[in-house]
Amino acid sequence: MKSTAELQEKSVTKIDTKWRFIYWRSAILYLLPSIILFSVFLFYPLGKTLYLSFFLTDQQGNANVFVGLENYQYILQAESFHKSIKATILFVLYTVPTGVIISLFLALLANEKIKGVGIFRTIYSSTMGISVAASAVVWLFIFHPSMGILNQLITSIGGTSIDWLLHPNWALVSVSVTTIWMNIGFSFLIILGGLQNIDDHLYESARISGASYFYQLRRITIPMLSPTLFFVITVSLINAFQTFGQVDILTQGGPSESTNLIVYSIYREAFVNYQFGTASAQSIFLFICILIVTILQFKFGERKVHYQ
Amino acid sequence: MKKLLLLFFLTLSLLIFITACSNDAEGEEPEEDTADEEQQADESTENEETNEEEAMDEKVEAVFWHAMSGSGQESIEAIVDNFNQSQDQYTIIPEFQGSYEEALTKFRSVGGTEDAPAIIQTFEVGTKYMIDSGFIEPVQSFIDEEGYDINQLEENILNYYTVDDQLYSMPFNSSTPVMLYNKDAFEEAGLDPEDPPQTFEEIKEAAEQLTVKDGDNTERYGFSILNYGWFIEELIATQGGLFVNNDNGRSDEATEAVFNGEEGLRVFQLIDEMNQAGTYGNFGSNWDDIRAAFQTENTAMYLDSSAGVAGTVENAPFEVGVAYIPYSEEAERNGVIIGGASLWMSNGIDEAKQQAAWEFMKYLQSPESQAKWHIDTGYFSINPAAYDEEMVQERWEEVPQLKVTVEQLQETKPSYATQGALISVFPEARQQVVTAMENVLQGTDPQEALDQAVEETNRVMEQANRANE
Repeated sequence: MKSTAELQEKSVTKIDTKWRFIYWRSAILYLLPSIILFSVFLFYPLGKTLYLSFFLTDQQGNANVFVGLENYQYILQAESFHKSIKATILFVLYTVPTGVIISLFLALLANEKIKGVGIFRTIYSSTMGISVAASAVVWLFIFHPSMGILNQLITSIGGTSIDWLLHPNWALVSVSVTTIWMNIGFSFLIILGGLQNIDDHLYESARISGASYFYQLRRITIPMLSPTLFFVITVSLINAFQTFGQVDILTQGGPSESTNLIVYSIYREAFVNYQFGTASAQSIFLFICILIVTILQFKFGERKVHYQ
Repeated sequence: MKKLLLLFFLTLSLLIFITACSNDAEGEEPEEDTADEEQQADESTENEETNEEEAMDEKVEAVFWHAMSGSGQESIEAIVDNFNQSQDQYTIIPEFQGSYEEALTKFRSVGGTEDAPAIIQTFEVGTKYMIDSGFIEPVQSFIDEEGYDINQLEENILNYYTVDDQLYSMPFNSSTPVMLYNKDAFEEAGLDPEDPPQTFEEIKEAAEQLTVKDGDNTERYGFSILNYGWFIEELIATQGGLFVNNDNGRSDEATEAVFNGEEGLRVFQLIDEMNQAGTYGNFGSNWDDIRAAFQTENTAMYLDSSAGVAGTVENAPFEVGVAYIPYSEEAERNGVIIGGASLWMSNGIDEAKQQAAWEFMKYLQSPESQAKWHIDTGYFSINPAAYDEEMVQERWEEVPQLKVTVEQLQETKPSYATQGALISVFPEARQQVVTAMENVLQGTDPQEALDQAVEETNRVMEQANRANE
C-alpha cells in the first residue's frame, strides 16, 4: 500500500511539473512580444548605461578606459552635481503639489452642472495639446528681460522689474511656473474623469443628512478620488524628475547652474561635453532615486488610497 | 446665489488662462510663420535639387552639412546653386543640420563611414576635436597636390586653422567680436559719439554717465556682455593673455587652463565693479535677448559678433556706432581671435566626392562668392580681394560700420594669444567660464570664481587626455 501511494505521489509530481512547463511555455509565448520590445528599448539601454558608467569614453564615444567607480565618486563629491540634486528636489516640491492642487480646484469647478461648462473644460485641458517646446517659447517671451509682458505689467503698476530668468533664485521659480501651467491640462483631465466616476447617490444621501459642501468634499470627494489623485501625483512626480525641454529652452541650466536639473545635466555631460561615463553614472543615480521615491510612494501613499 | 458664485470663479480662472493664451499668440505667431516659410523654402529648394540630380545622374554628388539658418542659409544655398551651375561635373547638396553643436553630434555618429557628408561646417572651438577624431582629410593634402596658392587668403584667419604647419580645414565664415554702442545715447549723456571708450577704465566712466535710473528701476544700463565664454576669451586675448598653457595648446598638447591669470582677473574685476555700481546690465546668455535689450535702449553699449553688425545697424531706431573691443590700460592691445566656422573634408568617402568637395571649397574662396557672403551676412571675407569688389564697396557706403570689423581684424598682431586656444574640451570650458561669470554677477569674488572654473576645466582636460591616449 505504501509503495502505491508513493508511486502515485511521484506520478502526480511528474504530471505537475509537465503541466507546469506547458503553462510556463505558453505564458512566455504570450509575454514574448513585450519581452522583446522591452529588451530592445529598455533593458538593453539600461544595461549599456550601467556598463558605460564604469568607463571613460574617447572622442568617438567608445568606452576605452575602465575606471571602476570613479565616475560615481566624482559625481557624488562634485559641487555642481550637488546643486543639480538640490535644484531637482526644489523643482519637484514647487511643481507637484501646486500643480495637483490647482488642477483639483479647476476640476471641482468644471465638474458642476451648469450651462456651457464644456467650454471651460475644453479650455482648462487645452494646455495638454501644446508641445513643451512651443509653450516654453511662449513663456520665454513672457519672461523676456527687456520686452517681457510680465515686467511691463509690474513696472506699469509701480513695482520693480524682476530678473525672471536671470537671477538664480527666480529662475527656478519661473521654470516651475511654466511647468505647472503646462501640466495642468493633463492633471485636470484625469482628475475630472475621476470626479465624474463618483457615484451620485453618495452626494444625495449627504445632502439629505444636511452635510455642507466642504464636509462632502472632505468625506466623499477626496476619499473617492484618492486612486486618481494617487495616479496623478505619481505621474507628475516622475515627470518632474525627468523635466528637460523647458530648462533647455528657458535657461540652459543657468544662471549659476540654479536650474541645472539632473536630466539637463545628463544631457549636457553626454551630448555637449561628450563625457558618456559621467553622464551614465548620473543616469543610474537618477534611476535609483526615482525607483526609491516610487517604492516609498506605493508603500506609504497607497495605504491612504481608498479603492471602491 | 451659489451658481452665480461658481460662474464667477469659472470666469475668473478662465480669464487667467486667456491672458496667458493671448500673450502666446502675440509672441509666437510671427515666429512660427517665418519658421514655416523658411522650412517651405528649404523643402522647395531641396526638391528642385533632387530633381536636377536625377536628370543628370552622371554628375558626382557631394553632401555639404552646414549650420547656417536665416539669411546665412539663404546665402549659402544661393552660392551652392551658383557653383552647381558654373560647371557640369559636380553637384553639391547643402543640408542644414541644426546648430554647430547638433551638426557635430550627428557627425560623430557617421564620421569615418561611407554615409559621412563630404563637407561639414564646424565651429572654431571644434577644431581640435576634428583633428583628433580621425574622421577627416586635411585640406593641406589637396593644396600640396595641386600647388594651390593659399596666400591669397586673410593671414589672420589662416593662422587660426593652421596647426603644426598644416591647414586642416578651409576657413569659411569668420567673425570677431566688436563693441556696439548707441550714438544717440552718447550725445544725450554728453559723450563724444565719435570717440567711443577704448579701455576698461574709460568703459567704466562712460557707463556711469550712460546709466539712467528711475527710482529702483534701471531704465538704461551703461554696458553689457552676453554670458558667453567667447567674449571672455577675446577680452583675455586682446590683452595678450593665454587661455591654456603650452602656448594656448599650439606648441604642445595643452594640459592646464590658465585663464585665471591677471588678464582674466582684470576682465572679471571690470564686470564685478560695474555690476556693483549698477551700470552693468545682465541680459542672460541668449544672443537675441541682448540684441533686443540694445534695440529697446535698455543698454547703451554691448559686445556682439561682427556677423550681427549689419542686422543691428539696420534695425536700430537710433544711430549705431561700432568700435574695437576694449582692453585694459595695464596691457597693450593685441587684437582679436577669429571666431566662426570652417569647412572640413571627410575621409573614408569616394575620392571623386572628395574632389567635388575640394572644387567647391576653391569656388567658395573666389572674391565673388566671398563678396556675396560678406554682404549677405556680415561675416568676413576670407579672401581680402573681395573687399575691392564693387558690391562690397557699395555696401560699405551704406553701412560704414562693417568696415570697422574688417579693420580690427587686419590690425591684429599675430601671436599665440590671438591665434586662439586649441583644446578638445572647449564646449565644457566655455560652460565653466559662463558659470563663473554668472557667479560673479551674484557677488562671488572674481578670483574665486575663476579658480573654480579653471579647476573644473583642468579636470575635464585631464580626463579627456586619459581617455584618448
